[in-house]
Amino acid sequence: MSERYARQISFYGIGIQGQKILMQKNAVLIGCGALGCTSANLLVRSGLKRLKVIDRDYIEESNLQRQSLFDEEDISKNLPKVVAAQKKLQKVNSHVQVESFIADLNPSNIETLLESADIIIDGTDNFETRFLVNDYCVKKGIPWIYGACIGSVGLTMNIVPSKTPCLRCVLENIPPFGTIETCDTEGIIAPIASMIASIQVAEALKILTGNFETLNKGLLKIDLWRNEIKRLHVEDIKEKSDCITCKQHRYEFLSKKTYSMITTLCARNAVQILHPNGSKLDLKRLAVRLEKAGYVSFNSFLLRLKIDRYELTVFPDGRSIISGTTDASVAKGLYAKYIGM
Amino acid sequence: MIYLDNAATTFPKPEIVYKTMDNFYRTLGANPGRSGHRMAVAAEKEVEDTRTVVARLFGIKDSKRLILTFNATDAINMGIKGLLKSGDHAITTFLEHNAVSRALNGLEKRNIITVTKVRNSPDGLINPDDIKNAITSKTRLIVISHAPNVLGTIQPIRKIGRIAREHNIIFMVDAAQTAGVCEINVDEDYVDMLAFTGHKGPLGPTGTGGLYVEERLTLEPWREGGTGFEPASLSQPEELPFKLESGTPNTVGIAGLRAGIEYVLSKGIGTIRAHEQRLTNKIIQALKDDQRFILYGTTDISQKVGILSINVKGFKAAEVGAILDQSFDIAVRPGLHCAPFAHQMIGTFPDGTVRISPGLFNTEEDVDLFIRALVKIANERI
Repeated sequence: MSERYARQISFYGIGIQGQKILMQKNAVLIGCGALGCTSANLLVRSGLKRLKVIDRDYIEESNLQRQSLFDEEDISKNLPKVVAAQKKLQKVNSHVQVESFIADLNPSNIETLLESADIIIDGTDNFETRFLVNDYCVKKGIPWIYGACIGSVGLTMNIVPSKTPCLRCVLENIPPFGTIETCDTEGIIAPIASMIASIQVAEALKILTGNFETLNKGLLKIDLWRNEIKRLHVEDIKEKSDCITCKQHRYEFLSKKTYSMITTLCARNAVQILHPNGSKLDLKRLAVRLEKAGYVSFNSFLLRLKIDRYELTVFPDGRSIISGTTDASVAKGLYAKYIGM
Repeated sequence: MIYLDNAATTFPKPEIVYKTMDNFYRTLGANPGRSGHRMAVAAEKEVEDTRTVVARLFGIKDSKRLILTFNATDAINMGIKGLLKSGDHAITTFLEHNAVSRALNGLEKRNIITVTKVRNSPDGLINPDDIKNAITSKTRLIVISHAPNVLGTIQPIRKIGRIAREHNIIFMVDAAQTAGVCEINVDEDYVDMLAFTGHKGPLGPTGTGGLYVEERLTLEPWREGGTGFEPASLSQPEELPFKLESGTPNTVGIAGLRAGIEYVLSKGIGTIRAHEQRLTNKIIQALKDDQRFILYGTTDISQKVGILSINVKGFKAAEVGAILDQSFDIAVRPGLHCAPFAHQMIGTFPDGTVRISPGLFNTEEDVDLFIRALVKIANERI
């Protein structure tokens, strides 16, 4: 064993045995934003066998404030997040096999992308992907670690199938259209992302080395601005609930039964997205929120949001026409960022 | 839902179409002509009956020259790719559906043929003289839509057909938007190849259509395989329709197509067309003098099928389509309608237009509700 992992091996919770086990493990990171950058960095340094990083976005200037793997040069090269990340990570630790995928994780490619994962780390920005991952992990018995943050608030929870409640035990469905806040409208400070990602990786190390007894139990909620740490006890929900995923084993997201419908429209350069939990919304409320993100105009039928070269037209039930792209994953990314899903 | 998207596919179908298909699949669902047992023979008879009914619809004398296809695109490809050879020249228009444009463009890109596209008038009409002037010694094919799907202007196919015949050029008509709503007679209109789809005007199901091939024509099959005819021979049979009809046909669809066409014939093509024109004209009259709307192509209903392309000022076509769908429960077709060149000609590329196409089962009330909805949208311009 090289000197590289000496301090980690000296730590009582890992040891030489734990390190050997870690170096046989495959992790998959979904989403390489603020959470993902920190997670990837910590995971690669800890010495896994392989880390797969999946993300559909390109680096933007507004990412640099909190996404620690990227720099100004990456932006000038117009790099996809995963490409820049892979380069940095490989420099950090050439013994870990880092693989990058510029992709939108969806029910069609999840089997291929998450194949042979020992653990899955959540770095996504939307509930739809999380519910999909939850379906997959419960079905396959793979642990995953939920993580999310906005503003100064972060949440994390371990989902170890058959041992803990799953995401759908805690949250029955994707919040309805218009009720989800996003970092692009509400903002975020970097420390909360680093903190949540650090907890996620610590939990991952425990799970991968079989230290289940010290796992964080329940849903952890931290607000760094208000100095609050709360642990929501959800451990016994599993016994009480009749969870559609982990009790009834109906995988609605994996089978696309509940999933956003994405259609490339018969006009050049536009994609239509239907919200997976569409419901009538007063566009005025949405306008107030989106005004922080870009130029907004609206009437009772539609709301238009201009962001760079894109225009998002949103209708009262959550349907959106995204012009400026024919790429479904770009459109979905914009939807998740500004409208929320 | 008020369905005003009949140019994409007619909906609903006559009750008899649903019943015929259900009954066919429950009682006669064998592979036609292959096995020789009674059910297979009955299924084959159903296919041949449909061929006869389609032949009657278009005045085709020899029904064997009517090839059953899976849609108009299939028929158009079969005709264009089965006919054109290296060095040939084809004449078409800018108004065509991608089924024609792309089939020709593909051959042109591979340097097999050359293509001339004839321009239309602002009303959407093609002048037969322009076609005549485009003819060269290499011209083998003139292909034109009877009523192009963006503007719905009815083209003078008989005049163009006569020009083609005089110059010994093959004349192909894409009747996707006119079969079942306009009188077509392949002999009187000098049509050598007529392509149509079953799920629009003929009121049949999707997955059906046909290609008429005139006697003087020999097409190479673009799809080869089992025909249930001359199975021992290694080569494709020369006899029509077998030569061009390889593979198990869409028998249940073909049964439905017959029921649809019989329904059309019993109603009368003239009656159906008059109904669709009346409803379309009502929309035209309500919108044409209102500055908030832009109407494309001729507003003279006698020159059109029941297709109208419009835009609402201040809105993209896709936005209007989405608002009509979700706030008013009205289905129309926004966009480019698979005819990008047509939209370039009328200046609506790349956002396209909102296309409204009333059908046989729409009512005056449907159209009134549509007009009111459109005015409400226009009133909220942002």
